[in-house]
Amino acid sequence: MVASRFISKLQRYEGWFGIASGLLIMVGLYLGLVTSSPDYYQGEVVRIMYIHVPAAQSAMLAYTVLFGGSLWYLWKRDPVVDNMCHAAAGIGIFFTSIALVTGSIWAKPTWNTWWTWDPRLISFAIMLLILVGYVMLRTFLEDKEKEATYAAILAIVGFIDLPIIHFSVEWWRTLHQPLSISTRGVSIASDMLIPLLLMSIGFYLLFTYMLMVRTQMLYLQHLLEAKRGRMLSKVHL
Amino acid sequence: MKWLYLRWGGVLIIAAIIGVFGIQRYDRDVTAISPDRLLRDQPTQTVRVLGMVEPGSIVKEGGAVAFQLSGEGAKVSVRYVGDESDNLRDLKTVVMVGTWNPATHLFESGKIALVPNYGFVTAAYLLSLIPMGLFLFNMERKVAMLYILIKEEKVYQPEQLAEESVESR
Amino acid sequence: MHFFNVIRWIAWKDLLSELRNRENISSMFFFALIVILIFSFSFSLDPKTSKELMPGIIWIAFGFTGIIGLGKSFLAEVHNDCMEYFQIVPAPKGAIYLGKFAGNALFMLIVEVILFPLFILFFNLDVLEKIPMILLIFTAATIGLSALGTLFSALTVQIRAREVMFPILLLPLAVPIFIGAVESTRGVFSGDPLPLYSDWIKLLIVFDLIFMVVSFWVFEFLLDY
Repeated sequence: MVASRFISKLQRYEGWFGIASGLLIMVGLYLGLVTSSPDYYQGEVVRIMYIHVPAAQSAMLAYTVLFGGSLWYLWKRDPVVDNMCHAAAGIGIFFTSIALVTGSIWAKPTWNTWWTWDPRLISFAIMLLILVGYVMLRTFLEDKEKEATYAAILAIVGFIDLPIIHFSVEWWRTLHQPLSISTRGVSIASDMLIPLLLMSIGFYLLFTYMLMVRTQMLYLQHLLEAKRGRMLSKVHL
Repeated sequence: MKWLYLRWGGVLIIAAIIGVFGIQRYDRDVTAISPDRLLRDQPTQTVRVLGMVEPGSIVKEGGAVAFQLSGEGAKVSVRYVGDESDNLRDLKTVVMVGTWNPATHLFESGKIALVPNYGFVTAAYLLSLIPMGLFLFNMERKVAMLYILIKEEKVYQPEQLAEESVESR
Repeated sequence: MHFFNVIRWIAWKDLLSELRNRENISSMFFFALIVILIFSFSFSLDPKTSKELMPGIIWIAFGFTGIIGLGKSFLAEVHNDCMEYFQIVPAPKGAIYLGKFAGNALFMLIVEVILFPLFILFFNLDVLEKIPMILLIFTAATIGLSALGTLFSALTVQIRAREVMFPILLLPLAVPIFIGAVESTRGVFSGDPLPLYSDWIKLLIVFDLIFMVVSFWVFEFLLDY
């Protein structure tokens, strides 16, 4: 019924990713919140790590997918890949915000400050700004043909810039403030490692699931608009 | 659509179960009572008592440390035998784990626990998991509706009307 | 040799049109002047804090100047419906980028060179013997800002909200330029020996090279719709 075979494959297999991610996250949460031991220095607050670190990892995965997809789109011009890029950006914004918010909540009891000019936090904040700029660009560009190309260009330039931003901020912080609090000071005990690993993999699977669902959503939206005759140009079918 | 709602109903139920377990464990293992409640209730099992070390009350005798733990206007005499007794300092807020001995009016403790601050953890998890659930639920609902709408949608063809009127003549 | 001719022609066209009505350079210059004045009102500048804040103020002023000037890069082409004609240029589209980039960099440098003596005047800076190093830093940072700015100007010029979108896209990605420029300027002003701040200049130069190459390559896709 739907023209693209890839989209029907997405619909068929997404359930597996959803179930797998749900199971892993639930087991990980149980192990992390209920059975694992609290950190000696930080106490119970270290349990925020079980959601902060996986969210940050998924955010970076989202941007990597966005970068790869943008390169692929510029090479093959496949509209479904463009939908995937748009989807990855939206999900990336979500996970980055969660990572920043949980990081801030974690910082308050451990370092007694809501925000610190830690290089990784700054890099994450800038990544959020780049992703928001990406989505804004796509929303404001009225010409659908250019929207995909320009967005892909922005994603590629942004991805290349992110390591440079991270390193320059890190050098800048070592200059003005010793990096004594750059690591979270968590000595990972072995019974913390397993829930962390489970949550990481669970979040990766969750990201994949969200990506599959959201790509379908964007694709179907365009398809519906095309069927209703609102979009007379041929792209994005 | 109904599978969608069933799925998410299941997720909510499981989340509620986990929440109940979490609250039970919290009450059992993490909550601490204040010294005045200890004096009032005089419980017989192992409890955790949260209070502040009275300044000047620390006395080290042999392998044990005796001090006064104050909180909510009450003072409890504590006798602690265990490691890291240097952690007991004046004006420090601690959680002592032990049993109340009504005969000697002493709280005999073998373990110092960390002051729980579950507020931050709860806030972090709620702020992340609830929006995640809402986001995902919204997306899935839109996808389900879109599939239905696309199936119902007929492609607009203006020639159809003309053909029908020709055939009916 | 169409490639270098295209670059030359586009840069020359921009230079000529700018010389004829001077609207871009004058708007950049006066905007920067206003920014300097507002900064001098906003901060009470005794000599000690002035020395610490000066590099930051200079580069904020230059940054805003760049946003005003760079945002208008492709405006003339859009107004005169030239964007489609770029597709038939018989040279790599990157040549168009390099031509525009050269023009923009030159204008920004001119404005900075005019403004810097005013900075020295208003804020009593004592840097006359360090001018060559300062010029090097200005050039490196300006090239970086122009490289990114020309690219993003092409991306946003056809949006209605272009004046908002252009800074939103440019500024997060230009963070290394600002950090490098401010730190190296601060090093020069404090009279530090070169090795102390040469790392920042190297950062600027590497950034410039990377983004000139990337933008050059990516422009092929930009104009190819």
